[in-house]
Amino acid sequence: MMPLEPDDREVRYAEYVLGVLDARERAAVERESAERPAAAAAIAAWSQRLAPLAAEIAPVEPPERVWDAIRRRLRLDERTGVAPRTGLWENLRFWHWLGLGSAGLAATAAVVLLTLLLQRPTPPPIPYMAATIVQPDHRIGWTATMDIAQSRMIVIPGVPQRSSPGHAPELWLVPKAGRPIPVGMISDSAAVTIALSPSLVARLGPTATLAVSIEPVGGSPTGRPTGPVIGTGAIGAATAAASRPA
Amino acid sequence: MSPMPAEDRETLERLLGETGAGDAKAFRTLYRLTSARLFGVCLRMLRDRSEAEEVLQETYATVWRRAASFDPTLAAPQTWLVTLARNKAIDRLRQRREATLDDASVLEGVVDERPGPSAEAEAQDGYRRLHDCLDALDPKHANSVREAFFSGATYMELAAGLQVPLGTMKSWIRRALIQLRSCLETG
Repeated sequence: MMPLEPDDREVRYAEYVLGVLDARERAAVERESAERPAAAAAIAAWSQRLAPLAAEIAPVEPPERVWDAIRRRLRLDERTGVAPRTGLWENLRFWHWLGLGSAGLAATAAVVLLTLLLQRPTPPPIPYMAATIVQPDHRIGWTATMDIAQSRMIVIPGVPQRSSPGHAPELWLVPKAGRPIPVGMISDSAAVTIALSPSLVARLGPTATLAVSIEPVGGSPTGRPTGPVIGTGAIGAATAAASRPA
Repeated sequence: MSPMPAEDRETLERLLGETGAGDAKAFRTLYRLTSARLFGVCLRMLRDRSEAEEVLQETYATVWRRAASFDPTLAAPQTWLVTLARNKAIDRLRQRREATLDDASVLEGVVDERPGPSAEAEAQDGYRRLHDCLDALDPKHANSVREAFFSGATYMELAAGLQVPLGTMKSWIRRALIQLRSCLETG
């Protein structure tokens, strides 16, 4: 077999875009694309190179029933003009609204997760994970929702314990074994979105826990929690509800 | 009629943007302008009308849901749409073929077809350059790349369909891809 010159990976991405890989190989490339921005960029570049070939295929007008099916499936008739459907994730006001009520917040978050999942055309393998960070007084400090495909987490305050001046809450990932890993600074008054590194994403799972400690503004100087831990929450996969929409 | 001419790039970008904001009317217009192109692609790959209709439906459901993530600085709208449709079709093919493994007939009647580019295709800059670069390749290699793109077949299926050893097929296509890239970069 011919050696893969000049670059195995590059060829793999091209093969993926061309469509010659089997299902298992495709899944591997898709995982890589989700984890490595460089892979995603290379795949996009190959799509840009090869997609114009579609111009050689004669267009065929699809039957009207296809549009009817799309319309019904997406319930387009119930919509009037512009609605805040997409960008729900980006809609911080929406999240903030969620964060304002603490009673039943977890339940509400579950409903939101389900809504998000149902908006997805094809649920990715592990679309979302969530954790409810409970404080010693049993009140919900924050809810954290992790979007695995996008490698990000949004942390919404419930009724968190306020930090003293000069201090701020810091979020940690606590693996089953091993020391806590800093995730990022969060806020006791606003929703915060945190980009997650691939190594952090890889550690998210039902055996890991999220914890919040009070640290100096700017974060723990040592890279480990130095202040009191004011809340913890187990990470749950939100995939259990990922039944496919019609 | 040209369903997706190059000069409409701006129109498609605008429609995708409005679709991303939840504008059902813009989505409808986008569908009208682009669905014939994508349906052609689905039909060609799946060779089954009802499956092509299903995949087209899935494709546009995804367009509706993901339009907000479309980034015109990363991809042309045509590329984005074609890629989405092809990926859905390929996934469907892989599912189907898992059930009918060893069925070499999937390529029957496909391999000798050489569709000529349509007039509007000729007019597209991206296509023109790709076409010239494909022309510069060994015809066997160029043909393999075209068949792979149009059929969505795996190496194994292509090798069976074009009746060459698997290793030969891989080497043809890999060589062609590398040459294409350098040709497109210098062109």
